Amino acid sequence: MTFNPADLEGVLPAIILSVGALFLLTSEVFLRTVKPAVLGHAGGHPTSPAERAEARLPPGSQGASEVAGIPPDRRYQAWVAAAFAAIGLWVSLAQLRDPAVAIFNGAAASDGFGRVVSAVVCGSLLLSCIVAFGYLEALRATRGEFYALALFSAAGMCLLGQATDLIVIFIALEVMSLAVYSLTAYLRRGKRPAEAAFKYFVLGSFASAIFLYGAALAYGATASTRLSDVAAALRGGGNGLLWAAAALLVVGFAFKVAAVPFHMWVPDVYDGASAPVTGFMAAGVKVAAFATLVRILLTGFGDPVAALGTHGWQRLVVWLAGLTMIVGNLLAIPQRSVKRMLAYSSIAHAGYLLVAVAAMAVEGPRKDAMEGLLFYLAAYGATIIGAFGVVAIIERKLAISGVGDDLSSWAGLSERHPGLSAAMSLFMVSLAGIPPTAGFMAKLTVFRAAVSAQLITLAVLGVLTSVGGLYYYLRVVVYVYMMPTTKPEAVMGGRLVAAGVALVGCALLVVWMGVQPGVFASVAQNAVSAFSR
Amino acid sequence: MGFEGGGLLSLVIFLPLAGAIVVLFLPRGEGGMHKGVALITSIVTFLFSLPLWLRFRPTARGWQFEQKADWAPSLGFGYHVGLDGIALLLVMLTTFLAPIAILSSWKYVQDRVKEYSLALLVLETAMIGTLAALDLVLFYVFWEAMLIPMYLLIGLWGSDRRIYAAVKFFLFTFVGSVLMLIAIFWLWSNSGRLGGARTFDYGAVAQLTGSLPLETQRWLFWAFALAFAIKVPIWPLHTWLPDAHTEAPASGSIILAGVMLKMGTFGFVRYAMPLFPHAALEAAPAIGALGVTGIVYGSLMCMAQTDMKRLIAYSSVAHLGFVMLGLSALSAEAVNGAVLQMVNHGVSTGALFLLIGYLYERTHTRDLAAYGGLAKVTPALAAVFVVVTLSSIGLPGTNGFIGEFLILLGTFIAPMGTWTIFGGQVSKGVLLSVVAATGVILGAVYLLWLVQRVFFGPMRKAATHGLPDLTFREWLCVAPLLCAILVIGVYPMPFLAASLLPANDLIARVRPRAAAVPRPQGARLFLPPGASR
Repeated sequence: MTFNPADLEGVLPAIILSVGALFLLTSEVFLRTVKPAVLGHAGGHPTSPAERAEARLPPGSQGASEVAGIPPDRRYQAWVAAAFAAIGLWVSLAQLRDPAVAIFNGAAASDGFGRVVSAVVCGSLLLSCIVAFGYLEALRATRGEFYALALFSAAGMCLLGQATDLIVIFIALEVMSLAVYSLTAYLRRGKRPAEAAFKYFVLGSFASAIFLYGAALAYGATASTRLSDVAAALRGGGNGLLWAAAALLVVGFAFKVAAVPFHMWVPDVYDGASAPVTGFMAAGVKVAAFATLVRILLTGFGDPVAALGTHGWQRLVVWLAGLTMIVGNLLAIPQRSVKRMLAYSSIAHAGYLLVAVAAMAVEGPRKDAMEGLLFYLAAYGATIIGAFGVVAIIERKLAISGVGDDLSSWAGLSERHPGLSAAMSLFMVSLAGIPPTAGFMAKLTVFRAAVSAQLITLAVLGVLTSVGGLYYYLRVVVYVYMMPTTKPEAVMGGRLVAAGVALVGCALLVVWMGVQPGVFASVAQNAVSAFSR
Repeated sequence: MGFEGGGLLSLVIFLPLAGAIVVLFLPRGEGGMHKGVALITSIVTFLFSLPLWLRFRPTARGWQFEQKADWAPSLGFGYHVGLDGIALLLVMLTTFLAPIAILSSWKYVQDRVKEYSLALLVLETAMIGTLAALDLVLFYVFWEAMLIPMYLLIGLWGSDRRIYAAVKFFLFTFVGSVLMLIAIFWLWSNSGRLGGARTFDYGAVAQLTGSLPLETQRWLFWAFALAFAIKVPIWPLHTWLPDAHTEAPASGSIILAGVMLKMGTFGFVRYAMPLFPHAALEAAPAIGALGVTGIVYGSLMCMAQTDMKRLIAYSSVAHLGFVMLGLSALSAEAVNGAVLQMVNHGVSTGALFLLIGYLYERTHTRDLAAYGGLAKVTPALAAVFVVVTLSSIGLPGTNGFIGEFLILLGTFIAPMGTWTIFGGQVSKGVLLSVVAATGVILGAVYLLWLVQRVFFGPMRKAATHGLPDLTFREWLCVAPLLCAILVIGVYPMPFLAASLLPANDLIARVRPRAAAVPRPQGARLFLPPGASR
């Protein structure tokens, strides 16, 4: 084992994000501490009764708000985090056309696929930071950990997109997961965030253990944790141990991508976490988990003449995809809470993405399918962060009292906030996959790959379940535009400019990817052709 | 090619969208500014579409005003538009009806004028684009893009049960189109067989599909046909139509009946039938039978209605049954008649919805029981209504006669084979045309009964308030429609000439032996100039 310093350039985005996180944590040391007032109201005395009611302090904490001293201004942290995310994005894009190389003795790869994943992760982080800025400020809940944790998790995600060694995958997975668990619990109001984080942590650890078990079996069969060695062993004639390893590895990541029947955690976690975190989680974790799944299946088990039989794992993924699309869409239909609806819809979208993974098993359409997967992930990321950005603005008031949102709080929104309503409708239309939005082009790239892979039944199932999806997405539009207002309250807390910037960014991306998909598709194509196996 | 050719067509397609962008940046607020921009835009669009009509050469083969440009070459689709005679007729119908529709609800729509104007303009672009597209993805994008503005038109400015109707409309039409999308992907993934890159281009795909085996053609045909059949709508898929029509505002009904339903029949003419000729020939008698069922069923339903708009909606089912019958008969007379009947139905039913909208604005009821004796109060309105009704019935001298006559004649002589009924051989064409002819009588029954109940007899509740007669603005809307009714009725040749060549091409492709079948002498009633027999 030799260490080649030049390899560090290959993981530059992850390094940049980690440096950003460390910088934020260090800067926190130099800020004056304030006696920990109740979270959410450290900004001075609630002077008016209205403001008191707005803050809705838990009983017994009245004294805490009388602590003298104004906490230091932490607003810079959002911008620092956003700046590091932007640098990460820029570096990923700048490296895009570099040749694909194996780094760290084959433990990771620096290739187009990984760079696109990094770019999507950094872009998601950038948008999420801006969304979170307005949200946390309005709730007076800005603390140093938030952005540092987000940066750490993003670093883990970037590494996941590049890892080609089971141990490296596991470490990157844990870096990402632990940070995301903490982010879920970040807003300590009521029981819901804590419950969500606990659920996520327990089930997530369970999935990690399953993954680790699969990795151990793979090591037992091949005496190596490198995915390339696994592939070599398969070419030499694999055995039952590798079958089991493949199944366990897939199951571990099926949990992370929220495929049915490993989806149980999603609604509670998405619902319990604060909306900007959920948006980041939905976009980032999905990208990273799918990227890793593709690496494991293609690099490790992708050889068609392997012991697993021709396209051995394809059947497994096909079943997962079919189940996920059906169950995700069906369960989303009865939801009254927009956050829970989006949670189930994210399960459904995992199903569509699994269709692309299933199509990759066939050599011919593999490139199409990978291109479709990357395009879909980027489109879904832009859309879902935007959607949760709108939810975050609506949720501000509810988050303080600790209850979940309900469709009734959306009724008549278009009369009060036409811009927000138009944005939300655009995101819903994109999630439903209607042109001319990113969601349609994403479905186009994925399903046509599935059709060329002869997975026509799966593709038909996909489009038919998306009709169910249309129903619940349209319901949001119905409430926003067509229902009379029931709670005539303006959005709380101001600071809409920052969130507005993020929302406009997401909306422009959604329309741009829908109207000019060629630009993004050619990036994805180049990335795929530089996929290092 | 420049402005003379495709540039002009693209201009007509995107002018309304440009108007929509102008509306988007106008300040919100009351006043007719938004509607004014919409009206001016649609009138200018109509003026720009006139050169299309004047410069069109009905005897030239191939696409006219063709324009091709790169859109997303990396994804295999491009911007490719062009017109044949049939598409031209419908484009003219669209640009002709759009200003009338906008003007029709000038007074009725008073809230959210900005969104209203936006929806109408975007809808116009989508409709013209659907007709002009020569690339399957471009077509699908425009096709689906029609849904959202129409959904908003029904759901926002409709009457009591508007949300139900809007969601039903959207879901029904969406279900149909997703299967078409899968079929389009299949065509794409197999278009590489001809050599060269895979493509979504209509011309290239058409070369591939003609030679496909019947089984393949069959499922592709039905995937396309389902989408179009729901849009037409063909009985028994029509159930969304009465709801959508009844709840939509007058402008929405005019556009919906006048243009959008024709997208379904146009889809049959342009896509489902010529792309899959063997399957289309096989399915033609069945589709004809469904059309005839729609004629009789729609007519009978009309008689049972108490809501005027619902009555006209069911009459649309009957009239479009005629169009589908004509298309499935596949003889020159029938297909030309069907194309003309598409235009006729747009003009006549559009006018009927317009006039009922006027009645509704005056009385705020659509219940037939409330009407009676209106002719004494509003003589001009009554006179116009009678003329439009007669055109819808198909009285000689009006446009409706020409279309229905040609369809019935063409079906009667169509060599569609025979059915065995009660042991005897009955020509399918004869049987279908005989049953369809009863629809003409039934049409006279329900429409004349409608006129009698509304305008004659004793004065009822709605007539007693001293209603105003047609205003200048209303005359402005009605007069062009009346002119169109009479001009087409008296001198249909220019309109028939436009559709002649594409109709012959369609027949030659679907039923290549038809030309060789000797015609009975009496059948040569119809030989328009330039017919290349």
